Amino acid sequence: MTATTDAPTPPVLAPPPLTGEDTARSSDRSRVHSARLGGRRWSLMWLLVGPGILAMLGENDGPSMIAYAAVGAQYGLGFFVPFIPVLFAMAYVCQEMCMRVGAVTHRGYGQLVLQRFGASWGWFAAADLTLTNLVTLVAEFVAIRVGLAYFHLGSAVAVALGLVLVVFTFSGGRYWRWERIVLGMALFNGLFLVAAILVKPHVGAIAGALDFSPFPGGSFNTLLLLLASTIGATVTPWMIFFQQGASADKGMTPRDVNHGRWDTAVGAVLAAIFGVAALVAGAALLTHNGSGIQGFAGAGFPAALKHVAGNAAGTAFALGLVEAGAVAILTISASTAYAAAECVGVAHSFNSSPREATVFYAANFGIALIAAAVILIPGAPLLSIALNANVLATVLLPVSLVFMVMLANDKGLMGRWANKRSTNVIGIAVIAFVGICGAAYGIDSFLQTTHIIGS
Amino acid sequence: MKTETAASDHHADHAAAIAERDLQRQERFEDELIMHLERDQFVAETSRPVPRVALSKVATAALWGLRVFVVIVSVMVIYTFIDQLH
Repeated sequence: MTATTDAPTPPVLAPPPLTGEDTARSSDRSRVHSARLGGRRWSLMWLLVGPGILAMLGENDGPSMIAYAAVGAQYGLGFFVPFIPVLFAMAYVCQEMCMRVGAVTHRGYGQLVLQRFGASWGWFAAADLTLTNLVTLVAEFVAIRVGLAYFHLGSAVAVALGLVLVVFTFSGGRYWRWERIVLGMALFNGLFLVAAILVKPHVGAIAGALDFSPFPGGSFNTLLLLLASTIGATVTPWMIFFQQGASADKGMTPRDVNHGRWDTAVGAVLAAIFGVAALVAGAALLTHNGSGIQGFAGAGFPAALKHVAGNAAGTAFALGLVEAGAVAILTISASTAYAAAECVGVAHSFNSSPREATVFYAANFGIALIAAAVILIPGAPLLSIALNANVLATVLLPVSLVFMVMLANDKGLMGRWANKRSTNVIGIAVIAFVGICGAAYGIDSFLQTTHIIGS
Repeated sequence: MKTETAASDHHADHAAAIAERDLQRQERFEDELIMHLERDQFVAETSRPVPRVALSKVATAALWGLRVFVVIVSVMVIYTFIDQLH
């Protein structure tokens, strides 16, 4: 921790015993060191990017992209075009804190909450994460299935693809390898931009929507649902666990914080562009009464897009869904693995071998396996699970964010890297906004369901 | 016989020198690796728990209040979700 390293270090301190994880991380750090010494700015940037882009593009996952497209199909271009970038700006504030805490303390979120605030808070956080991750992972497999259905491939292929990818990416026993493979895959999130261009949108209409108008109509509850699910499509508990854990696993240090900020900012910008692109592609269905949304469980959305804008647009959207689901399976499973192993107090790194970090790898594969099994259950309510995944994440998010802000303010841990007042003001505003939207939807829906108030 | 013994000793010395050189190389390599990690980045260091912070009563009560509120709202969302299935 910085608080301890800030103090003058005795000159003759014996180095701690070196583990395989240390050796692998140190090898990566030696390249960073060499690039920094040689003044190779772009090489240094290349070596240090990863966790931020992966957290942001990982959150542009299957259910999120379908949610954006569904909003476009239902409401057209309007309020949500500028609202999505605003949400990613909020996500940047939260994720920058995660990166900074990970780089300064070299510890994951679950580990710090558990040790700093007590076991019960750590386990609560891990339980929240496991619940939302399981629901979200089911939705990711559904998204892959929807994408593959466009090519007449079934659930079994979706399950096999997801699970093979999980095993393949951690087979190398190195964080660097895992990160680069997933990063390479994540860039294909740009397929949504291709789909948006192929539907030939009216550029003037997109520019005209930047003034947050028209505001979506419909009932108050529908508006709350849209807000809650769109927030859940940009900031979620798994991103917090993932980015802090990955930043520590990558070996980032306080010297890398500025590069980490760039990494997170680039991720947020790309995710906002691709998210808006999915909405624009979906808006092409507006004039066709939003046809295709109801066919979510089948190949509905890409097929509807093909009908409206041609085969290329449908193919790009379908492949985008496969990519979005696959990348999210990898990042969300990884966040579960970090949380589980950190809370148990055992090795939690992609730089450890499966033998050294059994809990980490077992949690990583296990949660993906359970989610995969759910989508193979005949008659399982996959559509409802997929649509509610983001809302549940929004409802559970405020607790994770509060602890994140507390950690980032902890001078004992963070020293001079602790939050500034301006960051706290924005952070607290984000927590309040997310909390109010999630709670308002939850309470309003419950009161309507129990007929305490009319719809 | 003497010549054979001398040759064998020479080989043993040579092998020992190579082993020593390899060991030194390995140690130098490990030293260089260690140089690229901050001391508090080592697994041995990060495995050490950080001291627990003492939360004030107000902060503890606020955190429990938020936790209970979030659980209640989550139950509402899950109830609504199950109801919508029918």
